[in-house]
Amino acid sequence: MKKETIGADIVVKILLEEGVEAIFGYPGANSLPLNDRLMDSPIKHYLMRHEQAAAHAADGFARATGKVGVCMSTSGPGATNLVTGIATAFMDSTPIVALTAQVNTSLLGQDAFQETDIIGITMPIVKHSFQVKKIENLASSLKQAFHIAQTGRPGPVVVDLPRDVLARSCECPNGDYDAVDMPDKEVDDPEQLEKIARALNKSERPVVILGGGVKLGHATGEIKALVEKAKIPFVTTMMGIGSVSAGNGYDLGFIGTHGYELANRMVHDSDFILAVGTRFSDRSTSVVAEFAPMATIAQIDIDPTSIGKIIHVDLPYIGDIKETVTALLPLVEPKERAQWHEKIKKEKGIVCENNPDNGCGRAGRMISAIQGIMPDDAIAVADVGLNQIWTVRTWRTHSPRNLITSGGMGTMGFSLPAAIGAKVGMPDRGVVVISGDGGFYMNIQELATISYYNIPIKIVVINNAHLGMIRQMQDLFFQSRFTTCELGSGVDLIAVARGFGIEGRRVAVDEDPQEGILEMSRACGPYLLEVVVDPEHYVYPIIPPGRSNVEMIFGKGE
Amino acid sequence: MTKIKEKTVSILVNNKPDVLARIAGVFSLRSFNIESISANVTKDPGKSKIILTTKGNQDTLMTIEKQINNLVDIIQVSDLTKIPSIRREMILIRLKVSTANQNSIIQVVEKLHGRVLSKEEGYWIVEVSGDVDEIDAILARFDKLGMDDFTRTGTVALEQIA
Repeated sequence: MKKETIGADIVVKILLEEGVEAIFGYPGANSLPLNDRLMDSPIKHYLMRHEQAAAHAADGFARATGKVGVCMSTSGPGATNLVTGIATAFMDSTPIVALTAQVNTSLLGQDAFQETDIIGITMPIVKHSFQVKKIENLASSLKQAFHIAQTGRPGPVVVDLPRDVLARSCECPNGDYDAVDMPDKEVDDPEQLEKIARALNKSERPVVILGGGVKLGHATGEIKALVEKAKIPFVTTMMGIGSVSAGNGYDLGFIGTHGYELANRMVHDSDFILAVGTRFSDRSTSVVAEFAPMATIAQIDIDPTSIGKIIHVDLPYIGDIKETVTALLPLVEPKERAQWHEKIKKEKGIVCENNPDNGCGRAGRMISAIQGIMPDDAIAVADVGLNQIWTVRTWRTHSPRNLITSGGMGTMGFSLPAAIGAKVGMPDRGVVVISGDGGFYMNIQELATISYYNIPIKIVVINNAHLGMIRQMQDLFFQSRFTTCELGSGVDLIAVARGFGIEGRRVAVDEDPQEGILEMSRACGPYLLEVVVDPEHYVYPIIPPGRSNVEMIFGKGE
Repeated sequence: MTKIKEKTVSILVNNKPDVLARIAGVFSLRSFNIESISANVTKDPGKSKIILTTKGNQDTLMTIEKQINNLVDIIQVSDLTKIPSIRREMILIRLKVSTANQNSIIQVVEKLHGRVLSKEEGYWIVEVSGDVDEIDAILARFDKLGMDDFTRTGTVALEQIA
């Protein structure tokens, strides 16, 4: 017997039209009509072990592939569990669509079982949201959701789907819908670009700052051409790492609290800054009044709200980064600027001497060794804390999407589920999680998902038995009064991994971790490498709270 | 710190139930107060117009305006403090009336081209409207004449075609 067409079929139809191949989710009573119809589609639904992980997996998928990630939950607690994941995607402008089931429309507002106002709860952390109360609006709302998520400055979109809308039979068996009419994006006057080019050409000490928007705007090639033609050194924000392949001589590293001293200093000394796809977050700028005091600042961004929000911008330009940089390229002239490059070269030497191993010590060397056994295009998914800073300071980015981390939100527990999404999206690429013990505990249940689907990701847990960065801050800024930072070493993580069906091994970073690293490289399935690190092993340099970018410290008691 | 300014904007939006909440959210995020707000459906029933007045330093006001403009269901934001426009406000005032103040009230209401809408048991309700910068003075005047309570519409405004 042929099934009648219901709302859930329309959802499946639009998902297929949008090219969705994988959904990360968790079912509940109100989502069942959709789970049922997804079963007959080629879309693979990954059953996660927690909805937060579903949202992070969709986020990781999107960051690794550049496509929209999709997660799905039931109503009530299922939907609220997505919230941290949605906020994480929002802060880093990742395109995800979160489908949340909802109680029947007739029950809305009655505090029905598993009812929650997810539209209200997520309003400040979404690019947009839809609650579809009529089946006639279902297709167009979903189409718009995908459009909104990935155009302009990308971001998460929530589509709330009441159970009766999913289950109701549909008058339009083909799920036809009106064409989606979205307004054109705003583009600035080309004369403004000429002004930016003139200022850049005139400048003696220019620096380009690249943010996460360069990757999101698929403009890495254009940016590379620009810095190479004009011979301008560039820095990135943490989200911008890997925008342009490292090691071509113009890369000064990333700026900000945990950034490179050279990058922070050169931005400080510059007379002209071209900021592309960055929102000048406080982690990048520290004390705004002391940020780049001598520079004329030009900023290119697709999002008008990111311009002038934090830093006064002399030459703003609103537009698509790829198109804008393409238009800017012929206007920019090559210029030698020997003095500036000489100064950078000199400072670079001093900085390297001051901070051996890039401030990451043995942990950094270990991360390099791990990268050494992985293919060139391997993706590192870093968690949050010391492990993150060690990773972003150490991992060599060969392509724009091979370093993934929660930058804006700093969500601990992000790495393990995000890596699931990254591996599902990029099955041919190696994926390695680099987490601390704290973040690992936060979504440890996802070992079950990894094991169940046999997702071959490498999981490195750097275990210092502490919340390492909290410990470092208490050590440096709270007179070594350590509190609520010790996790202890009483948990046998290898036994835990084995309990989940995942092989693993413990090594100490102070002894030779290489054997463990090699064993991990040989593992065909998922593998957990626990690396024991001394809790006093910190990351330097660091900018103390309330200090400017050029007041980095390199050790205790400075 | 830049100067505190008052700003009235006219926001054309898609007529959807959560638009107002999204606009309000932009203000609360920055801890900004909405001084007054009025909304109505336009000639096109699919669209609404919101007239909103707020106060703050210019940089933050500009950011808020951009963020509102960025919301999906917003069609247009016009800053009515920057373009020629009529900005008015209407008040309903309930006054305690006695033989002593009755004539003064009538005089003031007539002078302001207002109306007495109801006369009951020693209480009158009058309607007056005025330019936004006159309204506080009008209220002060009625306060002296036995004002018991009042309701203001908040600023309503319409741009002039130059």
